[in-house]
Amino acid sequence: MGKSFNRLIACVVVALASVVGAASAADAPQEVPLTIEKNQFQPNEVKVKANAPFVLVITNKSAKAAEFESKDLRVEKVVPAGKTVNVRIRALKPGTYSFLDDFNQQATGRIVAE
Amino acid sequence: MGGTFVVTLREGFEAALIMGIVYTYLQKIGAERHYRYATRGGLLGVLASVALGVLVTAMSGPLLDLGPDVIGLAVILVAVTVLTWHGYWMQQHARAVKGDVQRRIDEAQASHRLWTIGVLAFTGVFREGAETVLFLWGLLTQATSPSGWASATGAVLGLAMAATLGWAIFRGGRHISLQRFFAVTSVFLLLLAAGMFSTGAGRLEAMGVLPQSSMAWDTSHVLDDHGVVGGFLNGLVGYRARPSWIEAGSYLFYLVVAGALLFRSGPPKPRARAPRGQIPAHAA
Repeated sequence: MGKSFNRLIACVVVALASVVGAASAADAPQEVPLTIEKNQFQPNEVKVKANAPFVLVITNKSAKAAEFESKDLRVEKVVPAGKTVNVRIRALKPGTYSFLDDFNQQATGRIVAE
Repeated sequence: MGGTFVVTLREGFEAALIMGIVYTYLQKIGAERHYRYATRGGLLGVLASVALGVLVTAMSGPLLDLGPDVIGLAVILVAVTVLTWHGYWMQQHARAVKGDVQRRIDEAQASHRLWTIGVLAFTGVFREGAETVLFLWGLLTQATSPSGWASATGAVLGLAMAATLGWAIFRGGRHISLQRFFAVTSVFLLLLAAGMFSTGAGRLEAMGVLPQSSMAWDTSHVLDDHGVVGGFLNGLVGYRARPSWIEAGSYLFYLVVAGALLFRSGPPKPRARAPRGQIPAHAA
Protein backbone atom coordinates (compact mmCIF):
# COMPACT_ATOMS: atom_id res chain seq x y z
CA MET A 1 0.00 0.00 0.00
CA GLY A 2 2.82 2.38 0.92
CA LYS A 3 4.55 2.09 -2.46
CA SER A 4 1.47 2.65 -4.56
CA PHE A 5 0.49 5.52 -2.31
CA ASN A 6 3.89 7.15 -2.83
CA ARG A 7 3.61 6.63 -6.56
CA LEU A 8 0.15 8.18 -6.60
CA ILE A 9 1.40 11.25 -4.76
CA ALA A 10 4.40 11.57 -7.08
CA CYS A 11 2.19 11.31 -10.19
CA VAL A 12 -0.22 13.93 -8.94
CA VAL A 13 2.59 16.34 -8.03
CA VAL A 14 4.15 15.98 -11.49
CA ALA A 15 0.74 16.45 -13.13
CA LEU A 16 0.05 19.56 -11.07
CA ALA A 17 3.45 21.04 -11.87
CA SER A 18 3.03 20.52 -15.60
CA VAL A 19 -0.50 21.93 -15.63
CA VAL A 20 0.64 25.02 -13.75
CA GLY A 21 3.64 25.34 -16.06
CA ALA A 22 1.42 25.14 -19.13
CA ALA A 23 -0.98 27.70 -17.69
CA SER A 24 1.87 30.15 -17.10
CA ALA A 25 3.30 29.77 -20.60
CA ALA A 26 0.19 31.23 -22.28
CA ASP A 27 -0.25 34.79 -23.62
CA ALA A 28 1.02 37.98 -21.98
CA PRO A 29 -1.83 39.99 -20.46
CA GLN A 30 -1.75 43.53 -19.13
CA GLU A 31 0.52 44.19 -16.13
CA VAL A 32 -0.86 46.08 -13.15
CA PRO A 33 1.74 47.34 -10.66
CA LEU A 34 1.15 47.28 -6.91
CA THR A 35 3.69 48.33 -4.30
CA ILE A 36 3.86 47.55 -0.60
CA GLU A 37 5.58 50.36 1.23
CA LYS A 38 5.34 51.79 4.75
CA ASN A 39 2.72 49.19 5.72
CA GLN A 40 0.39 50.25 2.93
CA PHE A 41 -0.50 49.20 -0.59
CA GLN A 42 0.29 51.76 -3.27
CA PRO A 43 -2.20 52.31 -4.80
CA ASN A 44 -4.83 50.83 -2.54
CA GLU A 45 -7.43 50.90 -5.25
CA VAL A 46 -6.61 49.33 -8.58
CA LYS A 47 -8.86 49.75 -11.59
CA VAL A 48 -8.78 46.99 -14.16
CA LYS A 49 -10.77 46.12 -17.23
CA ALA A 50 -13.50 43.60 -16.54
CA ASN A 51 -13.54 40.33 -18.47
CA ALA A 52 -9.83 40.48 -19.30
CA PRO A 53 -7.06 38.61 -17.51
CA PHE A 54 -4.21 40.65 -16.06
CA VAL A 55 -1.05 40.25 -14.02
CA LEU A 56 -0.60 41.91 -10.67
CA VAL A 57 3.05 42.86 -10.31
CA ILE A 58 3.50 43.17 -6.56
CA THR A 59 6.69 44.73 -5.28
CA ASN A 60 7.47 44.70 -1.59
CA LYS A 61 9.65 47.71 -0.81
CA SER A 62 9.44 47.28 2.94
CA ALA A 63 11.99 45.45 5.06
CA LYS A 64 9.70 42.59 6.06
CA ALA A 65 7.85 39.88 4.20
CA ALA A 66 4.25 40.49 3.22
CA GLU A 67 1.52 38.16 2.13
CA PHE A 68 -0.82 39.34 -0.54
CA GLU A 69 -4.07 37.63 0.21
CA SER A 70 -7.45 37.83 -1.41
CA LYS A 71 -10.11 35.29 -0.70
CA ASP A 72 -12.23 36.91 -3.41
CA LEU A 73 -9.48 36.21 -5.96
CA ARG A 74 -8.40 32.95 -4.28
CA VAL A 75 -4.83 34.14 -4.05
CA GLU A 76 -2.42 33.78 -1.15
CA LYS A 77 1.05 34.86 -2.09
CA VAL A 78 4.09 35.57 0.05
CA VAL A 79 6.12 38.54 -1.18
CA PRO A 80 9.51 38.48 0.57
CA ALA A 81 11.13 41.79 1.53
CA GLY A 82 12.55 43.60 -1.48
CA LYS A 83 11.11 41.13 -3.99
CA THR A 84 8.63 41.33 -6.83
CA VAL A 85 6.03 38.66 -7.46
CA ASN A 86 3.77 38.28 -10.47
CA VAL A 87 0.27 37.03 -9.82
CA ARG A 88 -1.86 36.09 -12.79
CA ILE A 89 -5.49 36.97 -12.28
CA ARG A 90 -8.22 35.56 -14.49
CA ALA A 91 -10.78 37.68 -16.23
CA LEU A 92 -12.98 39.25 -13.56
CA LYS A 93 -16.63 40.05 -13.77
CA PRO A 94 -17.41 43.72 -13.07
CA GLY A 95 -17.24 44.26 -9.34
CA THR A 96 -15.03 44.95 -6.35
CA TYR A 97 -12.50 42.46 -5.05
CA SER A 98 -10.78 43.13 -1.77
CA PHE A 99 -7.25 42.14 -0.79
CA LEU A 100 -4.96 42.64 2.19
CA ASP A 101 -1.52 41.94 3.55
CA ASP A 102 -2.15 38.94 5.77
CA PHE A 103 1.02 39.72 7.72
CA ASN A 104 -0.12 43.25 8.42
CA GLN A 105 -3.85 43.47 8.19
CA GLN A 106 -4.02 47.26 8.34
CA ALA A 107 -2.74 47.20 4.78
CA THR A 108 -5.81 46.66 2.64
CA GLY A 109 -6.94 47.52 -0.83
CA ARG A 110 -9.33 46.58 -3.56
CA ILE A 111 -9.47 45.83 -7.21
CA VAL A 112 -12.30 47.40 -9.13
CA ALA A 113 -13.11 45.64 -12.37
CA GLU A 114 -15.26 47.68 -14.74
CA MET B 1 1.33 43.40 19.44
CA GLY B 2 -2.28 42.19 19.41
CA GLY B 3 -2.23 41.99 15.62
CA THR B 4 0.84 39.78 15.40
CA PHE B 5 -0.49 37.62 18.25
CA VAL B 6 -3.63 36.85 16.26
CA VAL B 7 -1.67 36.11 13.08
CA THR B 8 0.60 33.46 14.61
CA LEU B 9 -2.19 32.06 16.77
CA ARG B 10 -4.26 31.53 13.65
CA GLU B 11 -1.37 30.11 11.65
CA GLY B 12 -0.30 27.82 14.47
CA PHE B 13 -3.77 26.75 15.56
CA GLU B 14 -4.35 24.15 12.88
CA ALA B 15 -0.92 22.60 13.43
CA ALA B 16 -1.47 22.53 17.20
CA LEU B 17 -4.91 20.91 16.80
CA ILE B 18 -3.56 18.21 14.53
CA MET B 19 -0.56 17.51 16.76
CA GLY B 20 -2.83 17.39 19.82
CA ILE B 21 -5.20 14.97 18.09
CA VAL B 22 -2.39 12.79 16.77
CA TYR B 23 -0.73 12.37 20.18
CA THR B 24 -4.06 11.74 21.87
CA TYR B 25 -4.86 9.22 19.21
CA LEU B 26 -1.62 7.32 19.79
CA GLN B 27 -2.27 7.41 23.51
CA LYS B 28 -5.83 6.15 23.01
CA ILE B 29 -4.78 3.13 21.00
CA GLY B 30 -2.16 2.34 23.59
CA ALA B 31 0.76 3.21 21.33
CA GLU B 32 2.51 5.73 23.56
CA ARG B 33 5.85 4.27 22.64
CA HIS B 34 5.18 5.36 19.07
CA TYR B 35 4.93 9.05 19.92
CA ARG B 36 8.15 9.41 17.98
CA TYR B 37 6.24 9.08 14.69
CA ALA B 38 4.26 12.19 15.53
CA THR B 39 7.25 13.99 17.00
CA ARG B 40 9.46 13.30 13.99
CA GLY B 41 6.71 14.26 11.55
CA GLY B 42 6.15 17.52 13.41
CA LEU B 43 9.87 18.30 13.63
CA LEU B 44 10.36 17.53 9.94
CA GLY B 45 7.45 19.88 9.27
CA VAL B 46 9.25 22.65 11.19
CA LEU B 47 12.52 21.98 9.34
CA ALA B 48 10.77 21.94 5.95
CA SER B 49 9.01 25.20 6.86
CA VAL B 50 12.29 26.91 7.70
CA ALA B 51 13.88 25.51 4.53
CA LEU B 52 11.01 26.72 2.35
CA GLY B 53 11.04 30.09 4.11
CA VAL B 54 14.75 30.50 3.30
CA LEU B 55 14.23 29.21 -0.23
CA VAL B 56 11.36 31.60 -0.96
CA THR B 57 13.50 34.52 0.21
CA ALA B 58 16.27 33.40 -2.14
CA MET B 59 14.00 32.70 -5.13
CA SER B 60 13.06 35.19 -7.79
CA GLY B 61 11.33 35.38 -11.16
CA PRO B 62 8.99 32.61 -12.36
CA LEU B 63 10.22 30.31 -9.63
CA LEU B 64 8.99 32.73 -6.97
CA ASP B 65 5.77 33.34 -8.93
CA LEU B 66 4.80 29.69 -9.20
CA GLY B 67 7.00 27.57 -6.93
CA PRO B 68 5.19 28.31 -3.66
CA ASP B 69 1.80 27.78 -5.35
CA VAL B 70 2.76 24.35 -6.61
CA ILE B 71 4.20 23.35 -3.23
CA GLY B 72 1.10 24.73 -1.51
CA LEU B 73 -1.21 22.72 -3.75
CA ALA B 74 0.83 19.56 -3.32
CA VAL B 75 0.71 19.95 0.47
CA ILE B 76 -3.06 20.47 0.38
CA LEU B 77 -3.44 17.36 -1.74
CA VAL B 78 -1.28 15.18 0.48
CA ALA B 79 -2.99 16.55 3.59
CA VAL B 80 -6.49 15.82 2.25
CA THR B 81 -5.43 12.30 1.22
CA VAL B 82 -3.84 11.49 4.57
CA LEU B 83 -6.71 13.03 6.54
CA THR B 84 -9.26 11.01 4.59
CA TRP B 85 -7.30 7.83 4.93
CA HIS B 86 -6.74 8.39 8.62
CA GLY B 87 -10.37 9.30 9.24
CA TYR B 88 -11.53 6.20 7.40
CA TRP B 89 -9.17 4.02 9.34
CA MET B 90 -10.12 5.62 12.63
CA GLN B 91 -13.78 4.82 11.99
CA GLN B 92 -12.99 1.21 11.20
CA HIS B 93 -10.89 1.05 14.28
CA ALA B 94 -13.48 2.66 16.54
CA ARG B 95 -15.93 -0.07 15.53
CA ALA B 96 -13.44 -2.82 16.09
CA VAL B 97 -11.79 -1.97 19.40
CA LYS B 98 -13.24 -3.12 22.67
CA GLY B 99 -11.13 -3.30 25.77
CA ASP B 100 -7.96 -5.33 25.50
CA VAL B 101 -5.14 -2.85 25.13
CA GLN B 102 -2.59 -5.24 23.69
CA ARG B 103 -4.85 -6.20 20.82
CA ARG B 104 -5.38 -2.54 20.08
CA ILE B 105 -1.66 -2.01 19.66
CA ASP B 106 -1.35 -5.02 17.42
CA GLU B 107 -4.25 -3.89 15.30
CA ALA B 108 -2.89 -0.40 15.08
CA GLN B 109 0.43 -1.61 13.84
CA ALA B 110 -0.93 -4.26 11.56
CA SER B 111 -3.75 -2.44 9.84
CA HIS B 112 -2.49 1.10 9.88
CA ARG B 113 1.08 1.90 9.11
CA LEU B 114 2.03 4.33 11.80
CA TRP B 115 4.02 6.41 9.35
CA THR B 116 0.76 7.93 8.13
CA ILE B 117 0.63 9.51 11.59
CA GLY B 118 4.01 11.03 10.79
CA VAL B 119 2.78 12.33 7.43
CA LEU B 120 -0.31 13.78 9.10
CA ALA B 121 1.86 15.59 11.66
CA PHE B 122 4.20 16.76 8.91
CA THR B 123 1.53 18.25 6.65
CA GLY B 124 -0.28 19.73 9.66
CA VAL B 125 2.82 21.69 10.60
CA PHE B 126 4.16 22.39 7.12
CA ARG B 127 0.94 23.73 5.61
CA GLU B 128 1.14 27.13 7.27
CA GLY B 129 4.71 26.67 8.49
CA ALA B 130 6.75 28.45 5.82
CA GLU B 131 4.41 31.41 6.01
CA THR B 132 4.81 31.60 9.76
CA VAL B 133 8.59 31.39 9.44
CA LEU B 134 8.64 34.29 6.96
CA PHE B 135 6.30 36.31 9.11
CA LEU B 136 8.36 35.76 12.25
CA TRP B 137 11.60 36.42 10.41
CA GLY B 138 10.27 39.74 9.14
CA LEU B 139 9.23 40.73 12.65
CA LEU B 140 12.56 39.77 14.19
CA THR B 141 14.50 41.89 11.69
CA GLN B 142 12.28 44.80 12.78
CA ALA B 143 12.74 44.15 16.48
CA THR B 144 15.08 47.06 17.01
CA SER B 145 12.50 49.49 18.38
CA PRO B 146 10.19 49.02 21.38
CA SER B 147 7.16 48.62 19.09
CA GLY B 148 9.10 46.15 16.96
CA TRP B 149 9.88 44.14 20.07
CA ALA B 150 6.26 44.24 21.12
CA SER B 151 5.19 42.88 17.71
CA ALA B 152 7.76 40.10 17.81
CA THR B 153 6.79 39.21 21.38
CA GLY B 154 3.12 39.14 20.39
CA ALA B 155 3.90 36.75 17.55
CA VAL B 156 5.88 34.40 19.78
CA LEU B 157 3.10 34.50 22.38
CA GLY B 158 0.58 33.65 19.65
CA LEU B 159 2.54 30.52 18.76
CA ALA B 160 2.88 29.64 22.44
CA MET B 161 -0.88 30.05 22.84
CA ALA B 162 -1.50 27.74 19.87
CA ALA B 163 0.86 25.15 21.34
CA THR B 164 -0.92 25.43 24.70
CA LEU B 165 -4.25 24.75 23.01
CA GLY B 166 -2.78 21.66 21.36
CA TRP B 167 -1.51 20.52 24.72
CA ALA B 168 -4.92 21.18 26.29
CA ILE B 169 -6.53 18.92 23.70
CA PHE B 170 -4.04 16.21 24.57
CA ARG B 171 -4.67 16.60 28.30
CA GLY B 172 -8.43 16.83 27.92
CA GLY B 173 -8.62 14.14 25.25
CA ARG B 174 -7.10 11.58 27.56
CA HIS B 175 -10.13 11.66 29.78
CA ILE B 176 -12.89 11.22 27.26
CA SER B 177 -13.83 7.80 25.99
CA LEU B 178 -12.17 6.29 22.99
CA GLN B 179 -15.42 6.11 21.07
CA ARG B 180 -16.29 9.72 21.72
CA PHE B 181 -12.79 10.91 20.88
CA PHE B 182 -12.87 9.06 17.57
CA ALA B 183 -16.36 10.31 16.77
CA VAL B 184 -15.58 13.96 17.52
CA THR B 185 -12.19 14.03 15.83
CA SER B 186 -13.32 12.22 12.71
CA VAL B 187 -16.08 14.77 12.18
CA PHE B 188 -13.66 17.60 12.82
CA LEU B 189 -10.98 16.17 10.53
CA LEU B 190 -13.62 15.59 7.86
CA LEU B 191 -14.61 19.27 7.94
CA LEU B 192 -10.96 20.35 8.00
CA ALA B 193 -10.20 18.20 4.96
CA ALA B 194 -13.32 19.45 3.15
CA GLY B 195 -12.12 23.02 3.71
CA MET B 196 -8.69 22.16 2.33
CA PHE B 197 -10.17 20.35 -0.64
CA SER B 198 -12.31 23.35 -1.46
CA THR B 199 -9.34 25.71 -1.05
CA GLY B 200 -7.32 23.55 -3.43
CA ALA B 201 -10.13 23.58 -5.98
CA GLY B 202 -10.35 27.38 -5.63
CA ARG B 203 -6.60 27.72 -6.27
CA LEU B 204 -6.88 25.59 -9.40
CA GLU B 205 -9.76 27.77 -10.49
CA ALA B 206 -7.73 30.93 -9.92
CA MET B 207 -4.79 29.45 -11.85
CA GLY B 208 -6.97 28.68 -14.83
CA VAL B 209 -6.73 24.92 -14.50
CA LEU B 210 -10.41 24.64 -13.63
CA PRO B 211 -13.06 26.71 -15.41
CA GLN B 212 -14.17 29.89 -13.73
CA SER B 213 -17.44 29.87 -11.83
CA SER B 214 -19.47 32.70 -10.36
CA MET B 215 -19.96 33.55 -6.71
CA ALA B 216 -22.26 31.15 -4.89
CA TRP B 217 -23.20 33.52 -2.07
CA ASP B 218 -21.98 36.58 -0.24
CA THR B 219 -22.07 36.62 3.56
CA SER B 220 -19.12 39.00 3.96
CA HIS B 221 -21.33 41.62 5.64
CA VAL B 222 -22.42 39.05 8.26
CA LEU B 223 -19.15 37.21 8.86
CA ASP B 224 -16.07 38.29 6.95
CA ASP B 225 -13.57 35.49 6.36
CA HIS B 226 -10.72 37.99 6.69
CA GLY B 227 -11.86 38.93 10.22
CA VAL B 228 -10.71 37.22 13.42
CA VAL B 229 -13.71 34.91 13.94
CA GLY B 230 -14.29 34.30 10.23
CA GLY B 231 -10.57 33.72 9.76
CA PHE B 232 -10.50 31.01 12.42
CA LEU B 233 -13.63 29.37 11.02
CA ASN B 234 -12.01 29.52 7.61
CA GLY B 235 -8.96 27.65 8.86
CA LEU B 236 -10.92 25.10 10.87
CA VAL B 237 -13.96 24.18 8.82
CA GLY B 238 -13.32 26.04 5.58
CA TYR B 239 -15.84 28.85 6.09
CA ARG B 240 -15.94 31.23 3.13
CA ALA B 241 -17.80 34.51 2.86
CA ARG B 242 -17.77 34.72 -0.94
CA PRO B 243 -17.05 31.30 -2.39
CA SER B 244 -17.32 30.39 -6.05
CA TRP B 245 -19.66 27.61 -7.12
CA ILE B 246 -16.64 25.38 -7.67
CA GLU B 247 -15.42 25.98 -4.13
CA ALA B 248 -18.83 25.47 -2.55
CA GLY B 249 -19.50 22.47 -4.78
CA SER B 250 -16.17 20.79 -4.09
CA TYR B 251 -16.67 21.28 -0.35
CA LEU B 252 -20.04 19.56 -0.55
CA PHE B 253 -18.68 16.90 -2.89
CA TYR B 254 -15.89 16.03 -0.49
CA LEU B 255 -18.26 16.00 2.51
CA VAL B 256 -20.67 13.64 0.77
CA VAL B 257 -18.06 11.27 -0.68
CA ALA B 258 -15.74 11.14 2.31
CA GLY B 259 -18.67 11.23 4.72
CA ALA B 260 -20.21 8.23 2.98
CA LEU B 261 -16.88 6.45 3.12
CA LEU B 262 -16.47 7.20 6.80
CA PHE B 263 -19.96 6.75 8.11
CA ARG B 264 -21.49 4.37 5.63
CA SER B 265 -22.48 1.78 8.25
CA GLY B 266 -24.21 4.36 10.40
CA PRO B 267 -22.99 5.48 13.80
CA PRO B 268 -20.03 3.60 15.22
CA LYS B 269 -21.20 0.55 17.09
CA PRO B 270 -19.03 -2.15 18.60
CA ARG B 271 -19.27 -4.90 16.03
CA ALA B 272 -18.47 -8.30 17.42
CA ARG B 273 -15.25 -9.58 16.01
CA ALA B 274 -16.02 -13.17 16.78
CA PRO B 275 -18.69 -14.24 14.27
CA ARG B 276 -16.13 -15.97 12.14
CA GLY B 277 -15.53 -18.45 14.93
CA GLN B 278 -19.20 -18.76 15.73
CA ILE B 279 -20.49 -19.42 12.28
CA PRO B 280 -19.79 -23.15 12.40
CA ALA B 281 -21.79 -23.34 15.61
CA HIS B 282 -24.78 -21.68 13.94
CA ALA B 283 -24.31 -23.58 10.76
CA ALA B 284 -24.10 -26.86 12.54
